[in-house]
Amino acid sequence: MKVVGKPLPRRDAWDKVTGRTRFIADIPRPGAWFGGAVRSPVARGRLRGLVRDGGFDWSQVVVITAGDLSGPNTVAMIREDLPLLPVDEVAFVGQAVALVAAPDPATLAGALAALRPDIEELPAVLSIEHALRGDRVIWGEDNLIADYTIAPDDMDAFTAAMARGRIIEGVYHTGYQEHIYLEPQGVTATPRPDGGVEILGSLQCPFYVLNALTRALGLERDRLVVRQAPTGGAFGGKEDYPSVIALQAAVLAMASGREVAMIYGRHEDIIASTKRHPSRTIQRTAVAPGGRLLAADIDVVLDAGAFTTLSPVVLSRAILHAAGSYDIPLVRIRGRAVATNTPPNGAFRGFGVPQSIFAAERHMDRIARELGEDPLALRRRSILKPGDALPHGQVLPEGGTAASLVLERAIELSGYENRREEIAAANASATGPERRGIGVSLVHHGAGFTGDGEDKIDAVVHVRGEADGTATVLCSCVEMGQGAETVLPAIAAEALGLPLEAVHYHQPDTGAVPDSGPTVASRTTMVVGKVLVQACGDLAEQALTHGTDAHGTDARAAWSARAAAGEPLVGEGRYEPDSSIRWDQQHHHGDAYQGYAWMATVVETAVDTDTWEIRPERVTVVAEIGKAINPVLCVGQIEGGMLQSLAWAYLEEVRLDGGRYLNDRLATYIIPTCLDAPAYTVKLAEEPSPRGAYGSKGLGELPMNGGAPALAAAVEHALGTAPDFIPMTPDRLLAHLQELQP
Amino acid sequence: MKIVCTVNGQRRELDVRPMRRLLDVLREDLGLTGTKEGCGEGECGACAVHVDGRLMNACQMPVFQAHGRGIVTIEGLGDRDHPDPLQAAFVETGGVQCGFCTPGLLMASRALLNASPQPTETEIREGLAGNLCRCTGYGRVIEAVQLAAGVPVVDAPAPVDGSGLPVPAPDDAVHVLIPDRLDQALADRAAGPCTILAGGTDLMAAFNAGLPVPDRVLDVSCLQELRGIEVTAAGVRIGSATSYSDLIDSPDVTRIWPAMAEAARLVGAPAVQNMGTVGGNLANASPGADLVPALAALAGVVVLVSRQGERRVPVTEFYRGYRDCDCRPDELIAAVDLPTPAPDLRQAFFKAGTRRAQSIARVNLAACARIDGQGSLRDVRLVAGSVAPTIALLPRTTAWLEGRAISAPNLADEAAALAADEITPIDDVRASAAYRRTVLGNLVARFLRG
Ligand SMILES: Cc1cc2nc3c(=O)[nH]c(=O)nc-3n(C[C@@H](O)[C@@H](O)[C@H](O)COP(=O)(O)OP(=O)(O)OC[C@H]3O[C@@H](n4cnc5c(N)ncnc54)[C@H](O)[C@@H]3O)c2cc1C
Ligand code: FES
Ligand code: FES
Repeated sequence: MKVVGKPLPRRDAWDKVTGRTRFIADIPRPGAWFGGAVRSPVARGRLRGLVRDGGFDWSQVVVITAGDLSGPNTVAMIREDLPLLPVDEVAFVGQAVALVAAPDPATLAGALAALRPDIEELPAVLSIEHALRGDRVIWGEDNLIADYTIAPDDMDAFTAAMARGRIIEGVYHTGYQEHIYLEPQGVTATPRPDGGVEILGSLQCPFYVLNALTRALGLERDRLVVRQAPTGGAFGGKEDYPSVIALQAAVLAMASGREVAMIYGRHEDIIASTKRHPSRTIQRTAVAPGGRLLAADIDVVLDAGAFTTLSPVVLSRAILHAAGSYDIPLVRIRGRAVATNTPPNGAFRGFGVPQSIFAAERHMDRIARELGEDPLALRRRSILKPGDALPHGQVLPEGGTAASLVLERAIELSGYENRREEIAAANASATGPERRGIGVSLVHHGAGFTGDGEDKIDAVVHVRGEADGTATVLCSCVEMGQGAETVLPAIAAEALGLPLEAVHYHQPDTGAVPDSGPTVASRTTMVVGKVLVQACGDLAEQALTHGTDAHGTDARAAWSARAAAGEPLVGEGRYEPDSSIRWDQQHHHGDAYQGYAWMATVVETAVDTDTWEIRPERVTVVAEIGKAINPVLCVGQIEGGMLQSLAWAYLEEVRLDGGRYLNDRLATYIIPTCLDAPAYTVKLAEEPSPRGAYGSKGLGELPMNGGAPALAAAVEHALGTAPDFIPMTPDRLLAHLQELQP
Repeated sequence: MKIVCTVNGQRRELDVRPMRRLLDVLREDLGLTGTKEGCGEGECGACAVHVDGRLMNACQMPVFQAHGRGIVTIEGLGDRDHPDPLQAAFVETGGVQCGFCTPGLLMASRALLNASPQPTETEIREGLAGNLCRCTGYGRVIEAVQLAAGVPVVDAPAPVDGSGLPVPAPDDAVHVLIPDRLDQALADRAAGPCTILAGGTDLMAAFNAGLPVPDRVLDVSCLQELRGIEVTAAGVRIGSATSYSDLIDSPDVTRIWPAMAEAARLVGAPAVQNMGTVGGNLANASPGADLVPALAALAGVVVLVSRQGERRVPVTEFYRGYRDCDCRPDELIAAVDLPTPAPDLRQAFFKAGTRRAQSIARVNLAACARIDGQGSLRDVRLVAGSVAPTIALLPRTTAWLEGRAISAPNLADEAAALAADEITPIDDVRASAAYRRTVLGNLVARFLRG
């Protein structure tokens, strides 16, 4: 292969290193107004109205409340429970209760300060435990936004096994995580002469935004356009929330007749946008006298916040990975997403899996501890092999699991076994405050949408032949730092036999590109890339059929001629459902994912027992990701995801007071600096997947799963006790250790 | 206000409202949008530029301070045809993903390589510690800097002649006073209430968080009399407008007052160290300040000046309560004096912060003591930060330790327990009271164990 597999530089790199890339805030917008929101100061309350300060000149601004909305008052996502503006009840701190547009930032600030929502505060539900108690219902009939169960085929056998084995139980908690994409959320909305509106924004899923606009504004799609601006990081945070902010801006633009910009500063971004769901998982495992894992009963609960947003699908993915990478014959998994009066949580790299797999991995360490066995030995003898079935009934085919491969290579590469002994010996004789530890995790991640999700998405990709012999990829998957703008053209270049420079990438724009689905779920390279290969095939074939004799069999010449004549050829690819995939959504049973990527992580850390600061120093990762389309980008994805995962485990913390985030600026929400980052050794193992473009698999989310449990295991090795929660902040670590001491 | 500066080598005369952020003027007035805003409070470095060759955060600099100075932004670093070696290296190693942090990271990398052409990996990490990147995990970024190290570059353009101070315009909403002599500053100070602005790292963050910009601002950053480190046999005088970087770069400070040097090194990250000043740290009176405990433990004396003359207040007596210090409305902090310590004085500064750089202390401790010929502790001084509304002097622990044999059994543990017991810290967003107690005790013990 000429392009695929080569470490070619990113196509957008030069513009980015020279400061030429124009992000949304960088694009001049003369005459545009500024939009903002009046936000609820309370977690739950009856909204009685909006009090306007009589001293302010209201003629210079536009103010919108629920009563001013003409279309359905909803931000359509999975459900339509989230109102664009609340009518009579607020459900979380920071909820927008009114929108304002003004000609300049100072007037906007003046107007926002002169508006006060009149709210009668109501008692709120602020924790998973409270939501589950059900004594106060704030959503539906039971606070359950979603409730799914994966049940073993043979329930009797499951019950018997749980009764027969020794039960080892653990309860695991994970905390919030804020994305801190370095570019805050931002959109502009411009009214169109035909009464529609055009959105330009920093976003992951142009067609999600289009759907939300179509629904709430009651307009036909031909009057709505959503375009993506260069996006300064997203990590899932620009999957759901842009629908909210784009709708707000659209409503203001239509009411004011002006272009309206809503570009957040960091503080507003943190208080208004979604976060990773906090979770609580109970793992109960039945172990046979010889130590064999017989059965597991797992209960995953996610804190969804006040509205549905994407929580049901996050939950779905969480439970589908909740048993980890091990062969446990009988597994029951229940998952619930509960409503609380906190800002809605949403998509974040890993989509629920980091939470459930943290519990699974820590539980393996607990089982090992209780059995007096080495955690690696337990993993080795319980590891998934070809032919094993996952809890949801999917049988891993030959070549369908690289679990052993990645684990053994990471162990060898990191010298884990030796280091573990050396470190234990050094700790035993240490006189200073520093202890060290080394830990391992083994994780996987299913790429693409769950089950038949890809059938429903029905992705379409176009490739257009240009007059100069180049080709342009038209696709709705966005570049957000992960490299789509390089990887998809690389796939097209390979398929068309062109050099990478001869393939362009059209800006994702709902008016110009087909709906290839959202840029989520690690699906872009694997699933959309495969559709793109088809589109390229179609272009080449059309070119040859349309080619005149003069062009012979040169497809490129033929499409150039057609484009020069003003009738460019456009190759189309459409997702082909695989009829062999069985999926029962209701029971979460069957072939949940078309392929799994595998990763083993070894983390070596220091712990200062004076200050209880954790310092991850070395990380070794071996990841099996199918074919690496661009190895440099793959390594970059793994390192970046790994640091997010580690930091989630020990550094990043959101605390709430009465439903209000306390860590609401970069001075208090702490992400790692260059000094906090460990040294990485990353090795890619490639087992080409038949389902992905050129054998690729999804990769973007995988590293987010592995760092946290490996770091917790390393801390356990260092301290001899294992926190079952993250983040392991110094404060919480100390409290945990003090609790253990009488 | 009219100011003159060079931006990317080009002379620029600007008519600007003085308290606008340099960041906004670059982006809005000059169209240089390569400099980004990721936080507006000095934390992320996305807005980092070079000012007279030093890395600074443009979101924390009021534009009038750019007068007479040479600014270089990412647009001036290089372009595709004439790239800086760092730009080429970032492209090659994959040091750029979403690209939003990239301009700032490149400016930090260039500042680092200019100061240290062949940096160690640790120096690279320290040099980039004020530039957050959420995408790369920093691995490819470090590799890029290593790749570009040692490749020579044409140096930054010379700063412009900015002699003559900027001219305030009558329609400037905020009246900015920019004296260039101390007596003028004291006259301005006496003329009516004003807010003193030095490096702006605290004030500009506060404005960003909503603190109203005051009507009268007195800038002290141009006062040469307030800048500099003067070492004599008796001690050192550190001008209040001296930056952390000046302290860190001073071999005398590192040699004679290592606890102070260590505190300065642990403040923020390079851009904050280049901007933030000693006087600002003292006057800001934050309970979590890092330099203040070190100055207190080293027996520092704050030198305050007004038209009435000079007043000297020991740092240990300078604070009256939470964010309240003994600086009168007509005074400003001119300097801090530290005596030369006895050659056998052991000094240490420890910080348990939120992370390894760009970090606010959860607990810090500056500690000094001597061990006399009998092996007894003498001249013990312990000053802790972030455990009380202002610095905590730990009088009981200090008194208990004074004269005690360093080899006494359980000395460290008992002192730790005493220290933990004599403070009444609070729970806040950064740490719990319980954590602060325990860790302060541990840090006291760490000092005693040597
Ligand atoms: C990202 C970031 C990280 C930081 N990290 C740390 C840290 O790790 N440790 C730490 O201790 N601090 C830290 N700080 C704060 C530190 O930068 C400041 O305390 C700094 O020393 C203040 O100096 P300045 O010149 O910037 O003050 P300014 O912001 O200019 O002023 C601060 C206050 O001091 C007053 N003032 C200034 N000079 C005088 C004077 N000569 N006489 C009287 N009053 C005066 C001002 O009126 C104002 O009230 C951090 C700040 C930021 C933004
Ligand atoms: S914008 Fe973050 S430091 Fe200036
Ligand atoms: S490349 Fe995205 S934040 Fe650094």
